[in-house]
Amino acid sequence: MAAQGRIVWVSGPAVKADGMSEAKMYETVTVGDSKLVGEVIRLTGDVAFIQVYESTSGLKPGEPVIGTGNPLSVLLGPGIIGQLYDGIQRPLRELSKASGSFIGRGITTTPVDMTKKYHFVPTVSNGDEISAGNIIGTVQETDLIEHSIMVPPDHKGGKISNLVSEGDYDLETVLATTEKDGVQVELKMYHKWPVRKPRPYKNRYDPTVPLLTGQRVIDTFFPIAKGGTGSIPGAFGTGKTVTLHQIAKWADSQVVVYIGCGERGNEMTEVLVEFPHLQDPRTGKPLMDRTVLVANTSNMPVAAREASIYTGVTIAEYYRDMGKDVVLVADSTSRWAEALREMSGRLEEMPAEEGYPSYLASRLAEFYERAGRVKAAGSPDRDGSVTLIGAVSPSGGDFTEPVTTHTMRFIKTFWALDAKLAYSRHYPSINWMNSYSGYLADIAKWWGENINQDWLSLRSEVYGVLQREDTLKEIVRLLGPEALPDEEKLILEVARMVKIGLLQQNSFDDVDTYCSPEKQYKLMKLLVDFYRKGQQAIKEGTPLADIRAMNSITQLLKARMDVKDDEMPKLDKLESDMAAEFKTITGVKVSN
Amino acid sequence: MASSTLENTINKILDQTEKTIISDVESALHDSITTLENSVPKLEQEFDKIISDGKKEADKIEKQIVGSADLEARNKQLMALEDAVTRVFEKSLDEIKNADRSGDYANLIKSLLDDATKILGTTNVVVHTNSKDKDVVSSTLSQFPGAELSSELVDCLGGVIVKSKDGAMTFDNSIDARIDRLKPLIRKEIASKFGVGN
Amino acid sequence: MSGQGGVQYSKIAEIKGPLVIVDDVDNAAFDELVEIETKDGERRLGKVLEVGNGKAIVQVFEGTTGLSIAATNAKFVGKVMEMPVSREVLGRVFDGLGRPKDGLPDPIADSFIDINGEPMNPEQREYPKDFIQTGVSVIDGMITLVRGQKLPIFSGSGMSHNLLAAQIARQASVIGTQDDFAVVFAAIGVQYSEAEYFRRSLEESGALKRSVLFLNTADDPAIERIITPRVALTVAEYLAFELGMHVLVILTDMTNYAEALREISAAREEVPGRKGYPGYLYTDLSTIYERAGKLNGKKGSVTQVPILSMPSDDITHPIPDLTGYITEGQIVLGRDLFRQGVYPPVNILMSLSRLMKDGIGEGSTRADHGEISNQVYDAYSRAQEVRALAGIVGKAGLTDIDLKYMDLGDMFENQFLSQATDENRTIEETLGILWKLVSKLPKNEITKIKDKYVEQYYQEE
Repeated sequence: MAAQGRIVWVSGPAVKADGMSEAKMYETVTVGDSKLVGEVIRLTGDVAFIQVYESTSGLKPGEPVIGTGNPLSVLLGPGIIGQLYDGIQRPLRELSKASGSFIGRGITTTPVDMTKKYHFVPTVSNGDEISAGNIIGTVQETDLIEHSIMVPPDHKGGKISNLVSEGDYDLETVLATTEKDGVQVELKMYHKWPVRKPRPYKNRYDPTVPLLTGQRVIDTFFPIAKGGTGSIPGAFGTGKTVTLHQIAKWADSQVVVYIGCGERGNEMTEVLVEFPHLQDPRTGKPLMDRTVLVANTSNMPVAAREASIYTGVTIAEYYRDMGKDVVLVADSTSRWAEALREMSGRLEEMPAEEGYPSYLASRLAEFYERAGRVKAAGSPDRDGSVTLIGAVSPSGGDFTEPVTTHTMRFIKTFWALDAKLAYSRHYPSINWMNSYSGYLADIAKWWGENINQDWLSLRSEVYGVLQREDTLKEIVRLLGPEALPDEEKLILEVARMVKIGLLQQNSFDDVDTYCSPEKQYKLMKLLVDFYRKGQQAIKEGTPLADIRAMNSITQLLKARMDVKDDEMPKLDKLESDMAAEFKTITGVKVSN
Repeated sequence: MASSTLENTINKILDQTEKTIISDVESALHDSITTLENSVPKLEQEFDKIISDGKKEADKIEKQIVGSADLEARNKQLMALEDAVTRVFEKSLDEIKNADRSGDYANLIKSLLDDATKILGTTNVVVHTNSKDKDVVSSTLSQFPGAELSSELVDCLGGVIVKSKDGAMTFDNSIDARIDRLKPLIRKEIASKFGVGN
Repeated sequence: MSGQGGVQYSKIAEIKGPLVIVDDVDNAAFDELVEIETKDGERRLGKVLEVGNGKAIVQVFEGTTGLSIAATNAKFVGKVMEMPVSREVLGRVFDGLGRPKDGLPDPIADSFIDINGEPMNPEQREYPKDFIQTGVSVIDGMITLVRGQKLPIFSGSGMSHNLLAAQIARQASVIGTQDDFAVVFAAIGVQYSEAEYFRRSLEESGALKRSVLFLNTADDPAIERIITPRVALTVAEYLAFELGMHVLVILTDMTNYAEALREISAAREEVPGRKGYPGYLYTDLSTIYERAGKLNGKKGSVTQVPILSMPSDDITHPIPDLTGYITEGQIVLGRDLFRQGVYPPVNILMSLSRLMKDGIGEGSTRADHGEISNQVYDAYSRAQEVRALAGIVGKAGLTDIDLKYMDLGDMFENQFLSQATDENRTIEETLGILWKLVSKLPKNEITKIKDKYVEQYYQEE
């Protein structure tokens, strides 16, 4: 029986209701005369503490609270891709039909169009024994997404009957029934799943395949693996959002879930406007055909911000279970943590550091634990992955604050954004001395096999130059550059070239915005080449000034913008031109 | 001969001097013309600048004057309108004040009491009213068990002020209070009769 | 909330700080407007912060000074706070709560709007991309403002932020006069002279009749400041989305707003976040800043230029920090430049306009705009490094190219950045100066501009 109580207390998004002894923890309830959506987060006697996902302005003690009997769940089925949802999976396009330009309250809609027909192709037959997670057929959701219709993970299994034949059906059509021990269960194109409960899988793999993002500083220097976890902390103005948008655009995954959690409204609009016009570099189809957006902007109710992370990750797991690689980008986990803090404050819980609740760390751990490359439950066999990338917005850019420090414990790739780099317009402003990747060793094999065997050693050499520069910079700061011998000045010069020609990437430049792994490798190789030849030349007595004046340098620095991914021979030519120019300046006669 | 040589020399010198003088004068003249020519555009520039500065200033002042005048006119209009609204208001209040207290008026009082006791959530109340409405209120109160009429009269146009007996809650349902609550809407209504607002 | 309210409660349990706690209340709603009345008939406004179990916590906007337990009543009005709006609010001056301050009657309302507004549906937003020419070179060229953007000025005490904001308000209004524009100005706890400077500046440009002013000056009640930006934005939204005007909103000074918020939080004994500011400061600020933008199918726009003074010029202080996370960039004023007498003293390296990329380029400003500004950013940043180095090793220790960057840095400050408060430069003039700067560098230093633009605009000596 559903709980039926009355409001006794209201303070912002927090509401207490009595007469709620029937209510369950994390059950969704409707609150007040205007039927706002809420969730039970604490029970004391017959008093339920409820967080309300909509504005509580005007709510009065005495108004009714009614339980739904269900935990907060998402609807999983075709029609999710391309949507813009709020934190509790209400489609914002549908909400605007009900309340116009601004978000009204108490509106109920379905997350997807239940009447839309999809062409269903069964992959099982009547009489087959099936179990949880099995695929019973497929529908084409978008040009890019073949959507597997799966038996819900909590299904008890059974023998299939009444299977429909291939054809067009809407979401409410019963596609088949299963029977076990006299219990009949209907299977439709969709099922529901509680957001706070990870979807089960058969087993987990080690992450060994890189998630290619087309961003050089990520792929080449601080890579992330498919099924891995990464965090991108940075003060405001360091280009966090642009970097996340770049990952969402160019990552080589089949599905992208982008969560705008307590961030700017215009950023979601930007994605909505831009993605339908951008082409996936691998398939040529619009990026929107593989993207789901969950938006709970900063001025939308704070409790729904807390839920948005779970809504997003559950959708990601659902597509993972179809055998797809999914990237989930959450911008920003700090705003999510603040939502936790605000609710915790209203619950009058004992605060830990900076007012955050003591369970902040465990919540973060639970979230990042939902990443992974797995063998999905059920048959046929399929491998999928969820890669989790969370932005962190440390207050004052201070990386020792609780959200950053706790996050660092649970992630393996750390892209530290640096305000100083951003101020000098070095984008992406990922600081190469403070960032790290725990996947480097795991994915080096992939680069070795697919691009070139010397990838790892070249990378180490380039990274070595950057590390040397870091120490040399100290000396320059104290004594000026003239205090260094030419060999060391060359290191400074090469480091400058690495920064401009490799680490920097202009996301607004049509060519530079995405860089193929082949081109990344080649640019790196050219820089190492230059470094080695330069060292040799100086050893042989060539003045550094002659090296600095080389034409090839400007060519090399502009190559990231000038050379398209399919124009690799141009880089080969640059390589031979550079070799020739070195011969000229070192006095060796060129014979060609 | 000697003299003629001397003469020649003198003439020569004179001649040259003359030439020099002429050329000097010429060059001076030329210079002055050049200077003059050069200075004309400068002057013109200067002149233009003075004019344009003046014009800028004039523009600024003009804008300011036009802007202020526009505003002033509008504000006068607002005041006139407000004046009219106030007069209409006062007239209607007067009419209410002197309205006949028989017939339908008892129903009005009843609904005012209904309203107030419902909002307070109790009929266990003390009711205040003015001298004119005292009788009507008193006779209506029999329908509200527990309600008492206060002997203390209040200064209002009519209607009731209802208090819970412990004095913790008051609901002012006098006609004044009701008009006060509706005033912005009434003003809008009156203004639209004058053709202002939508 | 219907008009069900109106009950006056007289059992005041407690008065502390800006809060009045009323007992035995059984008919009040969260966020409801409250009229506090003293026995001698003085009325103040407040709103419900928390209600339940027979108790209501009311925040009094005008402060609680002079209120007593015995002689105070609280009337719960039965609605949230509303602002009456109509076209006639233009040219008017209101106080911090939206009541007339110019001796004129209340505006005759076209409608009454909840001052808290509702969140814009992100799906219904139109992405801002219309260039606003402010006539201020550093903004137009390097930190471009677009319609519907929220771009704050981060300043410090005593710096020229008000001059700059007033110049933007005057000059941005003049361009594109075929479109209806309006200026909404909210003074939040600033000195009277600053508010008056603004009013006069609008008057002199003839823009006063298209402006609405909300004034809460330093001597006005502090808690009122919670309301001031909200009434101002309510009017702005009405002008923009109901009447189709392009509205520029100037909010100064948001630091005073945040301090009022902190005062309330402290009185409620909430667990504080950083520097005593409440943990929900970010969310609260966002309910102000996010009320900027454009909407699909609506003609107008709300552009916000909030001004805030950074305590001790510290950009990591919670107020600028959280603001920066919400706004679409920031214009940072630099104390050093200000001391050197540069106006406007904008530190471009710390400044940024996130929406610039979409507001510039071919069709709006000029195709080379993005690249030339990138190059100048880069060069100015190099110039700063060289200056620092010169401080150690002296000019003699610098290379020729270093010296060129140093010259460029000086030129940038003297010729590009510096401009008179009444100097209105076109975007062509602005870009012209940028090319003049870049032309001081040899061509092989120009790595961020496509060759075709270099050929077109580079000025050989």
